[in-house]
Amino acid sequence: MVKFLKDINLKNKTALITGATKGIGRSTAIAMHEVGASIIAVGRNTKDLYSLQKKLKNRIKCIECDVNDYEKISKIIKNLKRIDVLVNNAGTNLPEPFLKVKKSSLETLLNINTIATFNIAKLCTDKMLKLKNRKKFGGSIIHTSSMFGLVAGPNRTVYSMTKFGLEGLTKGMAVDLAKSNIRVNSVCPTFVATPRAKKYLANKDFNKYVLNNIPLGRIATESDVATAITYLASDAASMITGTNIIIDGGWTAK
Amino acid sequence: MFKKIDLKNKTALVTGAGKGLGKACAIALAEAGAKVIIISRTLSDLIKVEKLIKKTKGSCLKFECDITDTGKFKNILKKIKRLDILVNNAGNNRPEHFTQVKKENMEYLVELNMKAAFNVAQMCAQKMVRLKSRKKIGGSIINMSSQLGRVGAPIRSVYNMTKFGVEGLTRGMALELGKYNIRVNSMCPTFVETPMVKKFFKNKKFKQQVLENIPLGRVAQEDDVSTAVAFLAADSSSSITGTSFMIDGGWTAK
Repeated sequence: MVKFLKDINLKNKTALITGATKGIGRSTAIAMHEVGASIIAVGRNTKDLYSLQKKLKNRIKCIECDVNDYEKISKIIKNLKRIDVLVNNAGTNLPEPFLKVKKSSLETLLNINTIATFNIAKLCTDKMLKLKNRKKFGGSIIHTSSMFGLVAGPNRTVYSMTKFGLEGLTKGMAVDLAKSNIRVNSVCPTFVATPRAKKYLANKDFNKYVLNNIPLGRIATESDVATAITYLASDAASMITGTNIIIDGGWTAK
Repeated sequence: MFKKIDLKNKTALVTGAGKGLGKACAIALAEAGAKVIIISRTLSDLIKVEKLIKKTKGSCLKFECDITDTGKFKNILKKIKRLDILVNNAGNNRPEHFTQVKKENMEYLVELNMKAAFNVAQMCAQKMVRLKSRKKIGGSIINMSSQLGRVGAPIRSVYNMTKFGVEGLTRGMALELGKYNIRVNSMCPTFVETPMVKKFFKNKKFKQQVLENIPLGRVAQEDDVSTAVAFLAADSSSSITGTSFMIDGGWTAK
């Protein structure tokens, strides 16, 4: 029978996910596990990692590590057996008006959103290329970017700088790694109902500003983002590279 | 957590469903459980597609119609009970050097790729918003665009003009239909192995030029695109609207 609907599954694939203890990272670990992946969850909080381990039971390995700790993370990745999928997700935001941005905030965001993200992408790619039949088997890297990697928002100059940067990294990596059949894409969500965003949205004015900017009239769910990331990770997306999936309810279409 | 592509209880209309991408999309949507309405100018093609859809145990209604015939298309819509998904796919290309573009070819492509695409989208959206529970159930419109809706290419000035136009239409529609929970996105594939493209590829030099521009080193298959269309049609993508899915192996990342 002719088939035109490719199955989204990650059987026999190992996915490393950073920032896997909460929010989008955690949900993505669960979604990928549901479609058959073995998960390597990296995060800083032991308790959260333990709870994820308990939830998923099998095909899950938890690693406690701050992605800023280059020596530690590089040793960890070097000792892994294999990686087929990287969800380069760890990142943060410290919203401040441009004129008030603290030197320490700038450095924190650059360190995690840009430098650590780059380093992990590179370390994992090195590992992915170790597999002899990578070209046949394929590989997929997904960066958690943001709609603020495409447009600006108030109090988000540094965040936008780092996420626009990530969009550039995505395209550059895609071009360099295509010959090894490793695809590189990003997801660009609007505000998602994560623990962090919920804190921002508790502010009524901010909540109104956000909903007024989303034509669909609602923020995204963790499941929306985890599903898109899982699709990009799978062979169902085997011609998709160097691009982004924008999950923003129409925010950037305006 | 993972939102499966599931189109049970949904009715989808596909234009240009007799061949190539439209045919692939119609079958993929049926595989995902949708009831499919297929439209084409060529009855013999429709009969073949209907057979393939029946093999997937899907259900299908076929209508012979040239979509530039607005009156006839409107009558077809009157015959169907409801509509949840539109794959606005019918389109064509007549490659010519800008200075040599014939007036009749320009007019034909504008008539089909823009005017008919607009009219079909408008008539279908009017039908979709009439359902009382639309806001709860949601709807999805996928406009068939192209990577050439995002970047230029030799001897494609008219095609570029029409497909950039479709990109604009997609964003405008997304903004206005968001309040009905009807999502609107476009599909931007690179060259796909369809009957139309196979003809272009008889020119070896052209084929080589195409492959040199795709970092992944291969053209897309019909199922790469039809799977993405099914993803956008389904609630798997319920926060995605006003965007474009690039399925171009990295062509536009360069």
